Amino acid sequence: MKSTLLRGAFAIFKRDFQKFLNNPFMILMTLFMPIMYLIIFGSAVGGSISHIPIGVVQDEPYLVETPLFLSAVQGLSDMQQKDSPPTFEVTVFTDEAMARRAVSDGRVMAAIIFPSSISVDHTIRLYIDSSEYTIPALILAGVNSVMARNGAFFPVQVTKIYGDVGYLQFFGVGVIVMAIFMTTMMGGGMALIRDREMGIVEGYLVTPVKRSSILLGIIASGTIKGFLAGLIILLVDLFVAGIVIDSAVNFLLILAVIFIISIGLTSLVVAFASRFANQQIFASSVAFLNLILFMTSGAFYPTLGMPDWLRWITVINPESYGVHALRSLILRGQGLNLIGVDLLALIIFSAFAISIGIATFRRTLD
Amino acid sequence: MSAVDDISFEVKRGEIFGLLGPNGAGKSTLIRILTTLITPSSGAAFIDNFEVSSSPEQIRGLIGVCPQNSTLDQELTAYENLEFYGRLQNMDDRVLKPRIWQLLEMTGLQNRARSPVSTFSGGMRRKLEIVRAFIHKPDILFLDEPTIGLDPESRREVWQQIERLNIEETTIILTTHYMDEAERLCNRIAFVDQGRLIALDTMENLRRSFPVGDLIEIGVAEIAEDLLARIREIPLVGSVDVRGQRLRIVTRKAGTVLPGILQILEESSIPMISIAIRSPSLEDIFIYLTGQIPASEPGVTVTGEGGRQGS
Repeated sequence: MKSTLLRGAFAIFKRDFQKFLNNPFMILMTLFMPIMYLIIFGSAVGGSISHIPIGVVQDEPYLVETPLFLSAVQGLSDMQQKDSPPTFEVTVFTDEAMARRAVSDGRVMAAIIFPSSISVDHTIRLYIDSSEYTIPALILAGVNSVMARNGAFFPVQVTKIYGDVGYLQFFGVGVIVMAIFMTTMMGGGMALIRDREMGIVEGYLVTPVKRSSILLGIIASGTIKGFLAGLIILLVDLFVAGIVIDSAVNFLLILAVIFIISIGLTSLVVAFASRFANQQIFASSVAFLNLILFMTSGAFYPTLGMPDWLRWITVINPESYGVHALRSLILRGQGLNLIGVDLLALIIFSAFAISIGIATFRRTLD
Repeated sequence: MSAVDDISFEVKRGEIFGLLGPNGAGKSTLIRILTTLITPSSGAAFIDNFEVSSSPEQIRGLIGVCPQNSTLDQELTAYENLEFYGRLQNMDDRVLKPRIWQLLEMTGLQNRARSPVSTFSGGMRRKLEIVRAFIHKPDILFLDEPTIGLDPESRREVWQQIERLNIEETTIILTTHYMDEAERLCNRIAFVDQGRLIALDTMENLRRSFPVGDLIEIGVAEIAEDLLARIREIPLVGSVDVRGQRLRIVTRKAGTVLPGILQILEESSIPMISIAIRSPSLEDIFIYLTGQIPASEPGVTVTGEGGRQGS
């Protein structure tokens, strides 16, 4: 009894293990993926946030700069993180209106307005970009510690210009992009590989249907699926996370951004699915791609907290432009003028992805 | 390396043309060339005045293809599968709808129209796939191994299906390595082996070209050697021998020589237990032509006394 049990188990073990050993790519991926997770996830999340751009300005600037103002600016500039990069990058503004505009344009994360005279009823006013995670708290802590060091215990009046943004709202916006990626990968890419394995795609080729129609149909369906997934998460954000969208124009812009991301990511997935004949290899490659793109998109954690090498990925990562655009539209209520760069980047990415999607898919048809 | 080398033949309008050969003979390659899936490195193939490599798009409108491995979408229903394929064929929806029901009725699947294909048996799937290839009334229907892996009952049903389609004046080109299938369905048969065309003719002519001819088997209890000699003297008789209790006579024309043989046996009062005349089967011809299996004489039955030459 016992020996037949073991013999059967051994046969199954051997078959399974042999298949694993015969697939070097899978071995690489199983070892490589956790290590990459460790490196990327570990670096992208929880790193000390540095180089936070802030603006400072003295109330009634026609007066000479007070010693308190000068020492506060110095103190903020000198503040350092443990591994020595400066915590803040301080810009001195000459006028409060300009400083506040810089905050709402996203050029600085906060504007600190110091009173010109020392008195209890003069407060330090802090206009803070509340749409980023942990950064507002860091700024507030920085201001408090600088004031304490100068012995000036002024009340600090904090204005969160986008209201209270919790982590759920912050993260929810990023999840829209992830939902699109997951949907196109699972629904679009895997189905395409399965269809090709089963000869269904070859079946198309003996009919009069045009090759471009096949591709158009595949990309259109993937795009709509991705779009719907993004839209559903947006609705969840609105009704569960309690996000408010200011205007109809912004709502339409959000839909446009979701659409462009969907078409770009779908085309990218089509390109990947065309390159890989094996479902396992496709799935692990795309999971890896998802890791890199999502982690460096700023969806989880502010990109300011990432090491430089990861921040470079951010620059070429289409998802980071998507997350930034959506966050600007959804959390900050900003308009087209501030997401122009994001839109341009997303359109370039989508155009690029569509062309490599077309090129690689066509090759599978010949 | 070429999978198909120097093959040339014509298929007549309205016939069922069989491509026969062992696995790897090049049948599928031939079909893939004719259905525009691959371009031949040299040579030309015409379908209704269109050449496969220069005008594949026109050809795709004329042909219907049922590939060897099922390409039905298991998740879709029978109706949806047909509808999808009809749309790929650029059919008008008003024409398509009645056509789908007509085809479902033809296959007897009208009650299962709304069931997903994954719930169908192998035979049902095959029939559905064959009529799917036929949805746009193509001039030529390609069937690659249409009954592979089916049970005898389903095979018969699929054959009936194919015959019904042929009534609509469709040319059908089918590949198979089942002899009975080719015998049953095909007007003309082409033998392909190792990428070459070995023989191409009607079933009847192929039989005639088979050097052995017909085989007469007569069950006898015992027979003397001199009688065998007398039988050998009959014109048109080839070889004569006795195996076990069976007298085997190979002849070009069984009908002509049989009366003479019977006369000799009756004159000697030899009781006959049985008489059988067999035509060589396609299998015999196939084996003879391809040399796949060492050409054993057809119809050898080894009995208990087998191997003992005539006593």
